[in-house]
Amino acid sequence: MIIITRPDISDAELDHIRERVESVGLHTHLSRGEQRTIIGCIGDEARLAEVPLKSLAGVESVMPVLKPYKRASREFSVNRTVVRVGEHATIGGESITVIAGPCSVEGRDMLRDTAVAVREAGATVLRGGAFKPRSSPYSFQGLGREALGLLAEARVSEGLPVVTEVLDTRDVDLVAAHADMLQVGARNMQNFALLAELGRVQRPVLLKRGLSATITELLMAAEYIMAHGNANVVLCERGIRTFERATRNTLDVSAIPVLKRETHLPVIVDPSHAGGDADLVAPLAFAGIAAGADGLIVEVHPNPECALSDGDQSLTLPAFAAMMSRIGAFATAAGRSMATPARTPRSRAFAGTAA
Amino acid sequence: MSDANGGDDTDELTTLRRAIEEIDRQIITLIGERLALAQRTGDIKREAGRPILDAAREAEVIRRAVNAARELGVPQEATREIFWRIVGMSRGVQEGGDAP
Repeated sequence: MIIITRPDISDAELDHIRERVESVGLHTHLSRGEQRTIIGCIGDEARLAEVPLKSLAGVESVMPVLKPYKRASREFSVNRTVVRVGEHATIGGESITVIAGPCSVEGRDMLRDTAVAVREAGATVLRGGAFKPRSSPYSFQGLGREALGLLAEARVSEGLPVVTEVLDTRDVDLVAAHADMLQVGARNMQNFALLAELGRVQRPVLLKRGLSATITELLMAAEYIMAHGNANVVLCERGIRTFERATRNTLDVSAIPVLKRETHLPVIVDPSHAGGDADLVAPLAFAGIAAGADGLIVEVHPNPECALSDGDQSLTLPAFAAMMSRIGAFATAAGRSMATPARTPRSRAFAGTAA
Repeated sequence: MSDANGGDDTDELTTLRRAIEEIDRQIITLIGERLALAQRTGDIKREAGRPILDAAREAEVIRRAVNAARELGVPQEATREIFWRIVGMSRGVQEGGDAP
């Protein structure tokens, strides 16, 4: 249920409406816009029958929210959510944000070389895997803690906020201490214990769509994080499993406008995992931007042939720069602009002293 | 960046951090005191055969907290979230379990 208030509502009237709703055991969520303010009601709506909502001072109208997701639903928020990552990067809003970096952090030099190159090409957030969820237990599982330390170093020396995946509820605090944004991988999208834990930390979450998850299931996963106290969720379409075998997955381009219709949360696209092939990354990235995505997350490696994971889909540094040089035109065509770095990196001489 | 600025920044940072630590301790002490009071009100409710959950009373506590936050210029929605958590903890000890 959402309550749309009159434009001239006073603070006292707002407080009173919320108290009446909460006095029957529901929770309220406020969304303030320039023109109007919405109070979202969460809980057993049957109990609201005893509250004369429409006759309370300041109430303009009352509308049911029929979707199973409430906090994530478009109706619950007057404005679209803009998620801040680190001090300066944002996802959502007018500009398009590109996150780039290696599938896994393999060492200091490769991470720094990649970070410098992607920043110069226009990326404003660095990605890098520390804990890797691999389909085979015998594949490279990531450098773990060591990689987190290298990411934290690169974050300071290259001036890019970092996003990395968290696999285990036990690692949430550790990863949050090193990264600006925490990623939930496709295989963990419905790991509800992990989602609940991420609700409790004050870090933005990048939530990837499960390989076989519907759009509603993705939004319910976001709802889980939000219901546990963290409203800073970015959704990521990364390809779904279909009958087509020519590509690793099928990028569900239509999910982008559907999500933009259903939710106020930002939506980005992962063209690397969607196609599973470096040649497909640029066209899928362009398609994502054209369809209204708020950003991209792209795998880049200085030497994909030698990558310890996902080399086939990683772009070389020049290929990433080439893609970035063409992407602005797609952003412009979609009525958007490309995000620009807000500051120059700190001198490497000072790296490590800022903590 | 203490090297570049002669160490003054670091001294001030340390002093401020100590003050913050002291405030954190006070906050935790007060939460502990609040939970102890909640436990006693829980005992009284139980003796009187009244239910532990009193949604109307909880809503009133939240409204009062938000009012105080507004008067003091503290962010209201964040205060709301913190107080829902505290109210939940208090209910937890009244119900005889650990605070969530």
